[in-house]
Amino acid sequence: MADFQIYESYQSLLKNENLSTPLAAILALTEMMMHSNAGTMFELLNELKGGAEALSRQTSNPIGLNAGCELFIEFITSFPQDAASFSELKTELIRHGQQYAEQALTYRAKIAELAFDFIKDDSVILTHSYSRVVLQTLLLAHKRKRISVFVTEARPRGLGIKTAEMLTAAGIPCTVVLDSAVAYAIDKVDFVLVGSEAVVESGGLVNAVGSNQIAIIAKAANKPFYALAESYKFHRMFPLSQYDLPSHNPGVLSFPQALGARALPASSGLPSKSSSVSSDNGSPIRITQEDIARNNPDVDYTRPDLISLVFSDVGSLTPEGVSQYLVGMFAG
Amino acid sequence: MASDPQSAANQRIVEDLVSRLRRRQLVGSRAAALETLLVLRQVVSKARSSNINQLVNIIRAVGRRLVEAQPKEHSVGNTVRKVLHHIREEYHTASEKPVVESSFSIAKFVLQGQPRKQTTIVRSGSEARAPLKENDPNDPDSFARVLKPVLMEAIQDVFDELETVYDNISKNAKDHIHSDEIILTLGTSKTVDSFLKAAAHYRNYTVIVAETAPSYGGREMAKSLSSAGISTFLVPDSSIYALMSRVNKVILGAHAILANGGMFATSGSLLAATAARSYSTPVVVCAGQFKLTPLWNLYHEHGALDFGDPSAVLGFDEGDLVEKVDVINPYYDYVRPELLDVFITNYGDHPPSSIYRLLKETYDDEDNEL
Amino acid sequence: MPEPSPTSAPASTDSPTLTKAQKKAEGRARQEQQRAAKAAQKQQQQQQSGQGPAGSSSTKPKGSATPRKSGLESNTAASSSKDTEGAGGADGSSDGPKSRGLRIFSHFGLPKTPGHQIKGDIHPVIVRLGLQFSEFKICGANARCIATLTAFKTVIQDYVTPPHNTLSRHLMTHLSPQITHLVNARPMSVTMGNAIRQLKLEISGSDIDLPEQDAKDALCHKIDNYIRDRIIIADEVIEDLAVKKIKDGDVVLTYARSSLVEKILLRAHSLNKRFSVIVIDSRPLLEGKTLLHSLTSTIPPIPCTYALLPALPSLITESDIVLLGAHSLHANGSVYSRAGTAMVAMLAKEHTVPVMLCCETYKFSETVMLDGFGKNELAPTKFSPDAPKSNSNLEILNPLYDSTPASCITAVVTEVGLIPPTSISSIPLALGRMSL
Repeated sequence: MADFQIYESYQSLLKNENLSTPLAAILALTEMMMHSNAGTMFELLNELKGGAEALSRQTSNPIGLNAGCELFIEFITSFPQDAASFSELKTELIRHGQQYAEQALTYRAKIAELAFDFIKDDSVILTHSYSRVVLQTLLLAHKRKRISVFVTEARPRGLGIKTAEMLTAAGIPCTVVLDSAVAYAIDKVDFVLVGSEAVVESGGLVNAVGSNQIAIIAKAANKPFYALAESYKFHRMFPLSQYDLPSHNPGVLSFPQALGARALPASSGLPSKSSSVSSDNGSPIRITQEDIARNNPDVDYTRPDLISLVFSDVGSLTPEGVSQYLVGMFAG
Repeated sequence: MASDPQSAANQRIVEDLVSRLRRRQLVGSRAAALETLLVLRQVVSKARSSNINQLVNIIRAVGRRLVEAQPKEHSVGNTVRKVLHHIREEYHTASEKPVVESSFSIAKFVLQGQPRKQTTIVRSGSEARAPLKENDPNDPDSFARVLKPVLMEAIQDVFDELETVYDNISKNAKDHIHSDEIILTLGTSKTVDSFLKAAAHYRNYTVIVAETAPSYGGREMAKSLSSAGISTFLVPDSSIYALMSRVNKVILGAHAILANGGMFATSGSLLAATAARSYSTPVVVCAGQFKLTPLWNLYHEHGALDFGDPSAVLGFDEGDLVEKVDVINPYYDYVRPELLDVFITNYGDHPPSSIYRLLKETYDDEDNEL
Repeated sequence: MPEPSPTSAPASTDSPTLTKAQKKAEGRARQEQQRAAKAAQKQQQQQQSGQGPAGSSSTKPKGSATPRKSGLESNTAASSSKDTEGAGGADGSSDGPKSRGLRIFSHFGLPKTPGHQIKGDIHPVIVRLGLQFSEFKICGANARCIATLTAFKTVIQDYVTPPHNTLSRHLMTHLSPQITHLVNARPMSVTMGNAIRQLKLEISGSDIDLPEQDAKDALCHKIDNYIRDRIIIADEVIEDLAVKKIKDGDVVLTYARSSLVEKILLRAHSLNKRFSVIVIDSRPLLEGKTLLHSLTSTIPPIPCTYALLPALPSLITESDIVLLGAHSLHANGSVYSRAGTAMVAMLAKEHTVPVMLCCETYKFSETVMLDGFGKNELAPTKFSPDAPKSNSNLEILNPLYDSTPASCITAVVTEVGLIPPTSISSIPLALGRMSL
């Protein structure tokens, strides 16, 4: 057992471009089971929980993988234990995990098909950052309808540019808008379509940072805000605020002096541009993109009342529907 | 279609309804639902089927035909879905097959979240019923013979429910309308009409009816309500906002209730509901369960809006104006769920957010597309 | 007795109402003459509160005196008498919920029957104008104001100062019954009120030493100037400003008919702007049809779409800008305008379509207006639908106005520029209208 490093396994699984974090987590747990020499269900569950925790600890943004681990462990807990021997049961469970991960890869196509019905000819769609399921939906829509797409740049990682490149390559008219230009663009948009990191119990959404502000702007402009989420992203978690997310840590939004990295609070406390500013002793202070990224969150939480619909492989759900669904799944 | 005389008879009654729907000789969601049910009863009683799939397919084919005849009359499709749901339920009871958890898998586990009806299958244990045999080569009629009486009973239940739908919606009217309230409504809706009249047995209150141009259905409604002794004011649509500050409740009818909790309703409803929201006035929708439609709004804001006769808006008495001007006369509005507070149905009162669950309980998912 | 508005309170007194009305009118005239030099603001309040009872009390006897059974009319007439009796405490409770409903709507000015009695020395011009008002032949805030002022010019020219009196002191006593007559024909518009107040100031300020004819000419000249500056030139400036906001390819949505919006659209067309117009209309007046006629008579005709108010949601999404007219504009920024305007503005706001309200500064009123219910007016019976078979429980109400909250208006186009609706109260002062 000790020789198995779940985090390494998880990381190597993630190299597969198609595999999202919850699925990679499920697969990592199955690998862990293969190496496990637990003799009882109780031991096995304990090991798995330990593995899930280890994964969660080593990742800066564990929300997605938590959802996967949670699903798999809940499944194992409720699995009928009528197999002949424990090792048989274990093999059975491993098979289920692998089978599911394989099957789950078809969910994006299913969601794309569902969301497609909501895309009108000549739609202008705003999307945020990079999401495989959104990309698949847009590509499907492009095959049968005329669409054009605004993609936010999605700083700091700039994944929106990746989306824009892929869409442009597919021949979809596509423009990258600054994260700060969403409010400017929103009146030209028919609806907003985003992917998700996780869908949580409140019916809200955890997704790449910026989704929340886009949802707020969309609400103010009376534009529908649609989220796409595979059902393995349904996560039994109830964030009360942005700072209640597991991805929040003291470093996010901290002021420089608190980190102790920089002296001279007077000048660096100001939101100065990345241009150099002379500090008291004359040496220029530079704030790099990396500095900014370090102080900023990766994901944010979008309240359910800002979301019009969530499309998932189990159907189109209202945010209320999502939370009812989650309760049915884990509390039923 | 098969060519034997029975299915020919079926085809005839189906085609008859299709043509009446298409020519709009049959309008009104309840009337359409009742007629659909009569046709389905006929079809089920005459249908030759030796297993459940055959029967379901026959009904779905009929349903498709009817829905295509008048896609805007959602109650037709809804009735078909409801009958299918009942048939499956009866079939499962009759076949006494335990609903097999065929194989346990993570995907199945995930589906546990799916809202379902609390399993109400009451085993009528004592009744010794002949075992249901499907596809029995020796006795191909066995399936139909055993199941048909049960199915006819189920259809009769749906029928009874439709017959009493207004009474059941109205039975709690007095809990929603209180003495000395001022209620605003618009257009004609038999459901709202009976709801208001039922409340008038217990309460003295005032109704303001917007006349709802260009059909001016509100005028009929006002006449009907006032003749029942309700103090009624008939006003033009333009004064809805001016009067809203004194209105305690807006009561509307629905044409179809959608899966997201929104609805299609007589045009004018959206204006009234939006005006109500700006004064925080509650908006109550009265509608029979047969109006629950497993559709999302899908941009029907334009697409499914039916347009009426422009001459009702700008008559030929206006001379050459008619030729120079585009006239728009939509039948329906799409009202977003945020603008509605409650749906009062014959199955109880529901907030827009639980319509989704209600739909899952009423119909089977596979029938959403007939 | 919950009276929603203080204006209907005096109606409950039991003295003979005809003389009451006369007395009131006279009394008011006298008072106002005395007060002419005083602060304009105070005067205005007085006038606002004096206007209501004069209107409602004079119509009351008519209702009960003419038991004509013509469906709707007998209804409203009966309602007014019943209501006032109820207010007096006589039989308000006897007919249950009905009288309650009636009380709520009782303060709406009742529709005037054409050809109401002429009391006192009314100039024929005013008699004719009164008839045109009550029959809605002359309708609209600007048209009524211009017509009133023009008629007053004739009245002033025909006026002869009685002996032992001066024009500046007596002319107003002569004009007051004329004004009362017009108010009896139809409640006074804010525009008329503002113009008359200005006229009173001019009269009281006219030079005593001036020969009578010169003084009258001077007053008529002042009236002409008022019409020219505050309405005609103001409209031209507003047209210029508003037209700039209409761009090629725009779809302009408007509601009913505002003379100013009509002029703006025609001007934009004459400047070769290519745009189309959506005219939304509603009963009781269906004024949009008149607008359609004038927009489609241009060469080439302006592409127009016409729909009734319930169809608005499917058209608002198509439009780029909404142009609306106003009856009056109030200190809290709310707009008193043709019934239905509020819903057009509300829906436009919801869809983030900019709403431009076109309105001359002389339509400003220093009062605040919280909703369109407190003050309103009913359309005459001729605009009612063919009365469904009369039934004692059924009443037909045709309110003419509603009040649009300031939050639904993007900009008010005035002759001093585009301003937000809430800045209105600062403008009249800038114009020097209310010299204290």
